[in-house]
Amino acid sequence: MTKVLKLMVMYFLFVQFSHAQDVKFGKVSKEELQEEFYAKDSTADAAVLFRDVRISFVYLESVGFVVQQKIHERIKIYNKGGFEHGTVVEALYQGNSGTNETLTGLKATTYNLVNGNVEKTKLKKSDTFKEESSKYYIREKFTMPNLKEGSVIEYQYVINSPFYSSFNEVTLQYDIPIVNQKIEVSIPEYFIFKNISKGYLFYELKKTVKSGNITFTNKTRSGGGQYTPISTSYSSSNLDFKINVSSISMQDVPALKEEVYVNSMENYRSAIKYELQYTDFPNSVIENYSGTWEKVVKNIYENVEFGSQLKLKQYYKTDLEQLLSGKITEKEKAEAIYTYVKSRMSWNGLLGYYTDNGVKKAYKEKSGNVADINLMLVSMLRNAGLKANPVLVSTRSNGVPLFPTRYGFNYVVAVVNLNGANVLLDATSNYSKPNMLPVRTINWAGRIVHENGSSSTIPLQPNYKSLESIMMSVSISENGKSEGKIRRFCKDYVAYKFRVNNSDIGEETYLEKLEEKFNGIEITDYSVKNKEVIGKPVMESISFNKENTSEVIGDKMYLSPLLWFAQKENPFKTEVREYPVDYGYPWVDKHVININIPEGYKVESMPSPLKAVVGDGIGQFIFQIINNNGILQVKSDLSINQSLISSQDYQGLKDFYKAVVEKQTEKVVLSKI
Amino acid sequence: MRLLSFVVLFIYSAVCFSQKINYTSLVTDKNLIENADAIVRLDELVVDIIAQDNMVLTSKRVVTVLNKNGNKHINAFVGYSSSNKIKNIKALVYDSFGNEIKKLKEKDFKDVSAVSGGTLFSDYRVKYLDYTPTQYPYTIVLEKEIQTPNTVFVPEWNFLDDYRQSLEKSSFVINYANANLKPAVLEKNFGDYAIEKKETPLSISYLATNISAIKWEELSPDFNVITPKVMSRLVNFHYEGINGHVENWGQLGEWMHNNILKGRGNLSLAVKEKVRNLVKDAATDLEKAKIVYEYMQSVTRYISVQVGIGGVQPILASEVDRLKYGDCKGLSNYTKSLLEAVGVNSYYVHVEAGSDKINFEDDFPTLSQGNHAILAIPNNNNNNYTWIDCTSQIHPFGFIGDFTDDRKVLVIKPTGGEIVKTTAYLEKNNEQLIKSNIQLLNNGAIKVKAVIETQGIQYDNRFYLEDKDRDKVLEHYQDVWSSINNIELEDYSFNNNKEKVKFTENVKITAENYTRLLGSRILFTPNVLNKSLYIPKRYRSRKLPFSISRGYMDVDTYVINIPEGFVVEVLPEANKIISEFGEYKSSVVLEKDGSLKYTREFLLRTGNFPSNKYKEYRDFRRKIASNDNQKIVLVKK
Repeated sequence: MTKVLKLMVMYFLFVQFSHAQDVKFGKVSKEELQEEFYAKDSTADAAVLFRDVRISFVYLESVGFVVQQKIHERIKIYNKGGFEHGTVVEALYQGNSGTNETLTGLKATTYNLVNGNVEKTKLKKSDTFKEESSKYYIREKFTMPNLKEGSVIEYQYVINSPFYSSFNEVTLQYDIPIVNQKIEVSIPEYFIFKNISKGYLFYELKKTVKSGNITFTNKTRSGGGQYTPISTSYSSSNLDFKINVSSISMQDVPALKEEVYVNSMENYRSAIKYELQYTDFPNSVIENYSGTWEKVVKNIYENVEFGSQLKLKQYYKTDLEQLLSGKITEKEKAEAIYTYVKSRMSWNGLLGYYTDNGVKKAYKEKSGNVADINLMLVSMLRNAGLKANPVLVSTRSNGVPLFPTRYGFNYVVAVVNLNGANVLLDATSNYSKPNMLPVRTINWAGRIVHENGSSSTIPLQPNYKSLESIMMSVSISENGKSEGKIRRFCKDYVAYKFRVNNSDIGEETYLEKLEEKFNGIEITDYSVKNKEVIGKPVMESISFNKENTSEVIGDKMYLSPLLWFAQKENPFKTEVREYPVDYGYPWVDKHVININIPEGYKVESMPSPLKAVVGDGIGQFIFQIINNNGILQVKSDLSINQSLISSQDYQGLKDFYKAVVEKQTEKVVLSKI
Repeated sequence: MRLLSFVVLFIYSAVCFSQKINYTSLVTDKNLIENADAIVRLDELVVDIIAQDNMVLTSKRVVTVLNKNGNKHINAFVGYSSSNKIKNIKALVYDSFGNEIKKLKEKDFKDVSAVSGGTLFSDYRVKYLDYTPTQYPYTIVLEKEIQTPNTVFVPEWNFLDDYRQSLEKSSFVINYANANLKPAVLEKNFGDYAIEKKETPLSISYLATNISAIKWEELSPDFNVITPKVMSRLVNFHYEGINGHVENWGQLGEWMHNNILKGRGNLSLAVKEKVRNLVKDAATDLEKAKIVYEYMQSVTRYISVQVGIGGVQPILASEVDRLKYGDCKGLSNYTKSLLEAVGVNSYYVHVEAGSDKINFEDDFPTLSQGNHAILAIPNNNNNNYTWIDCTSQIHPFGFIGDFTDDRKVLVIKPTGGEIVKTTAYLEKNNEQLIKSNIQLLNNGAIKVKAVIETQGIQYDNRFYLEDKDRDKVLEHYQDVWSSINNIELEDYSFNNNKEKVKFTENVKITAENYTRLLGSRILFTPNVLNKSLYIPKRYRSRKLPFSISRGYMDVDTYVINIPEGFVVEVLPEANKIISEFGEYKSSVVLEKDGSLKYTREFLLRTGNFPSNKYKEYRDFRRKIASNDNQKIVLVKK
């Protein structure tokens, strides 16, 4: 590999440009080594003192343009918690020969202050490791020698890649602060990229233009006839072109800190995304990649692993005919096909909007990736005469597709139009149903790809609230023990989660879990309906008894009106919040509880009713309690009406939960008559 | 402390006679279906010991997977390295009717590096099957064959290898070429299981049939301790070019010393001078050792690199000195060399680390026991050692915490190996003292000033707080005092006394709405800071024994000042609960100055108990939980 690389380097004809380098490798100051903490964030275990990333295109005569990323970082390690930043791992793609990514020019040094002098320890070649982590990737790894609290480490290397998309995301924010960073991306005029900002940090993108030049060596062979020796003559020609340079310079970039109820922190890490829109080389036609939604969709649609897959139909033809026999309405047909694909196909866990095995093979083997399964579904719906289309989706962990880009999507579902209404379908999950996609896909909007290649958006969040309802009647005895019945009713996503979590555990194990969840009740009788009937609510009936349901102190009894169903803790503890709170789907939690108080007791006091709201219709809490001749009738409804709540509403949400917790944990006081 | 860099390549797995088996998923035996996600229809391993340096492992495993949780039981993977070669691996999948639906060859297995978390690099690799089942139940047949010269690792045979998996038939056969290669075997936990043993000239075999699945239960001992297995070893073995003859731990220690450890400890004169200079004022060997240990902690960190023989052998001390990192073996060997330089003797130790206490077998010396290395420093009396774990940069000298405590380990001396038990931290060693001054306010808020002292394992659970920032410290208190909502951290300071292994937290918090205002009454729990609300899960029928592996002692004393204008209406009675699991008492007394004094003592005993005691233990914990939640009622004057 290294030999090949050296040869390749010899062929490099560098694109000329210059850049004033302000931080020289090796010039680490005593001040940097003496620094004990980062003044702007004293909690940081380490900080990047300086980071320089330069991305450029280099012309290689044998292959054409390749992408080079030059990385130079200097990191201060303040304490042991920062040691993990002394290890660097780069994953490099290994394609067919010639399309490998490589790491070259590695230089790394650890600096320590020893008796007032700077001591340097260099990383040796033998201290680096190359791991073949899979068929397609190797990982180059090293960890810095002689690392101590207070050390400064510095390394630089180059990643060479034949893939134009290799730098589709340039990270601007780490889990530790970055004191100073410079990013420079130089792109020859032949490549038209779109850049998109991600995250919450502000930066300025400076654009300049430089000139570049390639020298081609042309080899001409002549002779070789019967009497003439072969001769080779060389000539060279020049190509001048423009290089568009964008640079970012940032100071004091804060560390990315984790928060609760976030779908994926990666969505909020600041970065600049690059997506190739088209290439326009001299003497060639323009090649489109993406740019507008129309182009992105067209590009995806025209791929053989997408559009062509929709057209194949022979493989399921007879099965479909059988399936449709006797089905008359569009709804019946759609349901039959959806249920069939869902039960026939097993999802192999792989995402993607391009097929993996191809629909035909997947159908035969009964397993495939998301595209294999859902494109097959679209195709079958269409062939049954229904208006069905694929919908491109970005999963929750993939981030929000705000701008037209191919990388924005990583998933595909189906939409079918029934009587003018769009119904979303995903056949990869056993527990989803029409218009209830698996939670992983509920992320803003999807993009419908129409049959003519045009596109339009469709919201993915459910517009209904998923319900959990508890109806309970309970009798409490003098010693605080209780006995009663619970009817629990789970609909939509609550039922989905119930099924996902409990489908493969035995009833005994489930009941033990439930007893634990319900604060140690002992279940004496249990039945469940519709456990596997997707589309219908799960209905459980539970008979139970429990000790210590109320507290008997002196001649009084203290009782929590919601018993163990009260929310005892505020889930939101931090003072400020940067990122939205993401619940996935709107929901409502209802409790209706009738409590028979023991003979010989009367209600001395009970909580007052309460109605609380948060924001403009974001959430609502209603609490009522009535004493009806010794039977306490308690009603508590808590609902969150939006999937996503912005950080501006965080304080309101936190206060709302505080009110909920306080109200739900208030006590009823009973006293002896 | 960091895990396990002592790698033994697992070449367990099994092989096969050609024998007709029914591949339909139809199993009617209720005992095999109950609590099972998968049924191992057949699990066979044939170990052929052809020569001292040539062993072939042939295996066949047939598993009927009943549901998606059962997929992990197919064990469709095989580890390999440059010495452990895969000769054959293939798999066949059958549907529930016994029709073959898929054939998988070696190239269908994914080939990846066997790097686990915490390891920077390892040259061990693994091939595994990434099969997506298309229906349940299904049956998979996996055949593999591995060849290795390393006869030092004759695989351990587990008749059951996980919870929720039942077994129809398991067969383990060792064939050996001559009497010199006859393995010694050790049968463990056979109990009531019907396992048949057969011995013929040049072969030993075991056969087990129809074993029901075991369901995991809270507090149960390690799976390995409750399920049957056979350990095997060769007296005359081979390991990576080195032969050995070992009959007892003494000889294994000697072999380790001469072949694996000797010559690994050279250090430059400059380094030796440096540490000698550090200890020049120290009077005793232990003082010197402490200085050296703390020096080593301050200059090194844990990084694991496993190459070739490096699964067992430490990298050179001089390399660790240059890189300032190493794995458990490298750091232990380096520290040993540093100690040697200042004239302090220490021994390299193999141990099975982890919070489960797993012992080395008294009379069964194998190299595959243990997954970690530490050091033992002999004290004057040679049967007494100070143990140090060199992979921790923060633990006090001589304190090993719950990672390697209270278990039998192999101490390797130049004269041979010995089995010794490490320090135990039991009950009163693991003490927590909380003294607190608590002010209840009129508006329901609470102000708490507390001093918390922890020792032993409780120290181990707390002292890391020292290095945490304010947010993390607040998170910690929100977590341990989860019954107090809205905690505000006013002030805190910590003192980590490494000499005495004692951690002291001085903490001040306030919280709104701690007490409940009910008309003219206030209701509150006097046990503000140490509610022990844990109640072990109820099982309809508890099957497994249970253990409390580390008991502890908690003592709480709180002075509680009640709000102006209120008097006590009802005080809870003093309580005392005594059982074989421990002792608990609590009381609240009204003092002359109008304040309340709450005291609580809870001793939890270490011990192993049969399953029929579980209900009693639950009752014990339930009473404590209920007591810790007891309330006091105050009323307006």
